[in-house]
Amino acid sequence: MRAGTARSGESMLAQLVLSGISQGCLYALVALAMTVVYRATTVVNFGHGDLLMAGAFAVYVLVIFAKVPFIPAALLAIGLLFATGVGIQHWLIRPILRGPHLSLAMMAIAVGYFLRGVARVFWGREVLPFPKIYPDKSFFLGSVVLNSSDLVITGSAIALFFLLWLLFAVTPVGKTAQAVFQSQRGAALVGINVGAFHGAMWGLGAAMAAVGGILIAPVTLLYPDMSASTLIRGFAAMTLGGFGSFPGAVIGGLLLGVMEMLVGGYVGSRFIDITAYLVIILVLLVRPVGLFGRQVVVRV
Amino acid sequence: MSDKRWLSEPRIFYVVPVLALAIPILVNDYIQYIVNLILVYVLVGVGFNIVIGNLGQLAFANAAFFGIGAYTTGLLMYHFQVPFPLALVAGGLVGAGAGALVSLPALRGVRGFYLAIITLALGELMRWVYVHAESVTLGSMGLHVPLPFIGGIALKNDYGKFYVFLFVVVALVVSTSNLLRSRFGRAFMSIRDNELAAASVGIHTARYIVLAFAWSGFVVGVGGGLYAALVRQVSPEAFNLLELIVHFAIVTIGGLASLGGSILGAVILTAAPEFIRDLPGFEELLLATLMLVILLFLPRGFVSILARFIPAIRDRYYRE
Amino acid sequence: MAQLLELTGVSVRFDGVQALSAVSLGVAAGEIVAVIGPNGAGKTSLFNAITGYVELAEGGITLSGTRIDGLTPHEISSRGVRRTFQNGGLFGELTVLENVLAGLHGRVGGSLLGVLFGSRAARTAEREAVAEARRLLDIMGVRHLERQLAKDLSGGQQRMVEIVRALATNPPLLLLDEPAVGLAPPVREQLVRTIHRLAKKEGLGILLIEHAIELVMNVSDRIVVLNYGEKIADGTPAEVRADKQVLEAYLGHA
Repeated sequence: MRAGTARSGESMLAQLVLSGISQGCLYALVALAMTVVYRATTVVNFGHGDLLMAGAFAVYVLVIFAKVPFIPAALLAIGLLFATGVGIQHWLIRPILRGPHLSLAMMAIAVGYFLRGVARVFWGREVLPFPKIYPDKSFFLGSVVLNSSDLVITGSAIALFFLLWLLFAVTPVGKTAQAVFQSQRGAALVGINVGAFHGAMWGLGAAMAAVGGILIAPVTLLYPDMSASTLIRGFAAMTLGGFGSFPGAVIGGLLLGVMEMLVGGYVGSRFIDITAYLVIILVLLVRPVGLFGRQVVVRV
Repeated sequence: MSDKRWLSEPRIFYVVPVLALAIPILVNDYIQYIVNLILVYVLVGVGFNIVIGNLGQLAFANAAFFGIGAYTTGLLMYHFQVPFPLALVAGGLVGAGAGALVSLPALRGVRGFYLAIITLALGELMRWVYVHAESVTLGSMGLHVPLPFIGGIALKNDYGKFYVFLFVVVALVVSTSNLLRSRFGRAFMSIRDNELAAASVGIHTARYIVLAFAWSGFVVGVGGGLYAALVRQVSPEAFNLLELIVHFAIVTIGGLASLGGSILGAVILTAAPEFIRDLPGFEELLLATLMLVILLFLPRGFVSILARFIPAIRDRYYRE
Repeated sequence: MAQLLELTGVSVRFDGVQALSAVSLGVAAGEIVAVIGPNGAGKTSLFNAITGYVELAEGGITLSGTRIDGLTPHEISSRGVRRTFQNGGLFGELTVLENVLAGLHGRVGGSLLGVLFGSRAARTAEREAVAEARRLLDIMGVRHLERQLAKDLSGGQQRMVEIVRALATNPPLLLLDEPAVGLAPPVREQLVRTIHRLAKKEGLGILLIEHAIELVMNVSDRIVVLNYGEKIADGTPAEVRADKQVLEAYLGHA
């Protein structure tokens, strides 16, 4: 993919950036979901990638085996994952909240591993095609080619970000959430049920994971191990955007998507995978707070 | 309460390797292979526990250390016909270097979750390198490791390998024990329990973080070298994040910050899957369930149950 | 009397807040100086500045004439400044003996390789350290707690062990951050006697933060009063007690 005339170089750049934005929307979604859980409960959910996989598999099972039409199946899967998130928080996280942070991280890892085991029992090493709801078409924007999946993903993600923004900024539930984000103790003092709130936020995170899984599965196909790469990209997005920051998660995700595409286009496709790693390493060494984050390093 | 004073004496554990010398006479090929695999994972557990348990730092590079040790040993034997003992030490040293490398950010003040994430990034970066450096590592195809020789004697079967593995593992477990029962071990745990206070007693915390990672990398790297000699086939898939979860399981289920726990964890996690080998997914379910149960109900791992009967298992961090 | 610790015009700023403004004070060897003030006056920031946990925006700190500001906490500790922490600074999962051994950190001999191979030198150094730690615990009368995990101790016991650990290397300067909080009266008295002995018999300079005014009036040679990050008084207990500004500061914060 070498730039010929200036015009094709320009359009390659545009192509890469636009594809990158669509890819980046997924990363932003993952990063945002993990940021919600982190801000609400100070726990980083290392099992998030596996929740994403579980959401996608849930839709698959509903559509293929229970013959449920796609949209209801998707909604059902999202609801199911919401319940799963609440359940995880209530039975597995809450009992060990007082313990060392390490245990919480391990618990999240163990939960993710469990979900992967379940998936593997049913599907082993198979790679499954995800039920298609939209036709596979290409659109032309000037000389830039966009896939229907790009549009669906970007559109859905933007819609979701908007809905979340509405939820947090405008609704009473959201105002409650903001209060808890500011100060848990303060919120408890004014009578907010912090425990229920934690459960709801884990549920929300899991539901967002389901959405992510549903969006990504048509592109990457469905297999039990699909979690690892998305998880790392989520971390890279959060690190770049500034850990714990909502706008940071979104912008970090978009930037990461674009960077990956640029690396793939100009350096080589082999290097796409390590873009996320390099972002993490460079950001933490050079500007640990990322774009919008707060204090990160200690005086040594 | 314990009138059996000898159960409190750590020296009784030397009995175990002595008794173990008899194993090759008693077991068949297959069991011997499993025992050798257990020994490999003892090193994996002991090494990982230094960082996760004693230092108390979440880290994701252990599988990468395992891999780099295996590749170093295997490649030196394959490309340069380096004798096995030397290749093994090299594997450990490169592992130590990798450990120091992933923890260097600590010298710049990176801690906690951020340090954990950077070990993830660096570990995966290392793995990418040995997948893509195909000309050297033979990439995903896998590296076939030549027959290991010790001073002219070929380790053709698992019985021969056992004695070598046993010696190496005992040596590393003893030196790790020495390390923990010294100002170094105490420094690691001081950092875990209260880093600010650790600095206030004169501990250069960043330096000890790097040291802990380096020793961990050494031990796990040697484990990787033994693994290469055991399975004779080294490929990148054996050292990915899925493998890392097994490492987490070993130290969590066995017991954090406990040498006995690492050993117990290695035994449980190597032996158990053998019973459910051919059922895909059940291994993961079993491990995950064990982890969940331990985290909820027995946070100090299975070794804490043993420690009630054999007080000597409880680690002590000084020497008399 | 030459000053052991000297702060000159020290200012500390973080998160947009001026925690300390141009604070100057001194502590001499054998002197007990208390730092008091309403909540948020900057007392802990003062300790953090002295021990290197925060950077100075302005000013300088010297120990026996040598500048120590800008050094890292562990460096300052090795120069002879040791401290206790307000919220308990013990290593919870280590035993009392191991905590004190950790306190001896820089004094325990043996190289890394020596330790790994179990060399005679390393083993001897370790044994000597254990003997020394036991001796220190004996002096403070807490030897019987040797095998207990630090997290299982009572508040008073923890405080004492933390002081033993801080003293392990014979530091010339000791900073005590609210050592008397939550202690029962008899334990407080023991604490006061200990502080007195450390300064007057052993010659340590002691800087302490305390809220308990009677204790402070009792034990201190001098009292420094902080309010909103500024020093508003510095004198003997009698002088400070009569100081109008101090009264206002406290009444104002009722």
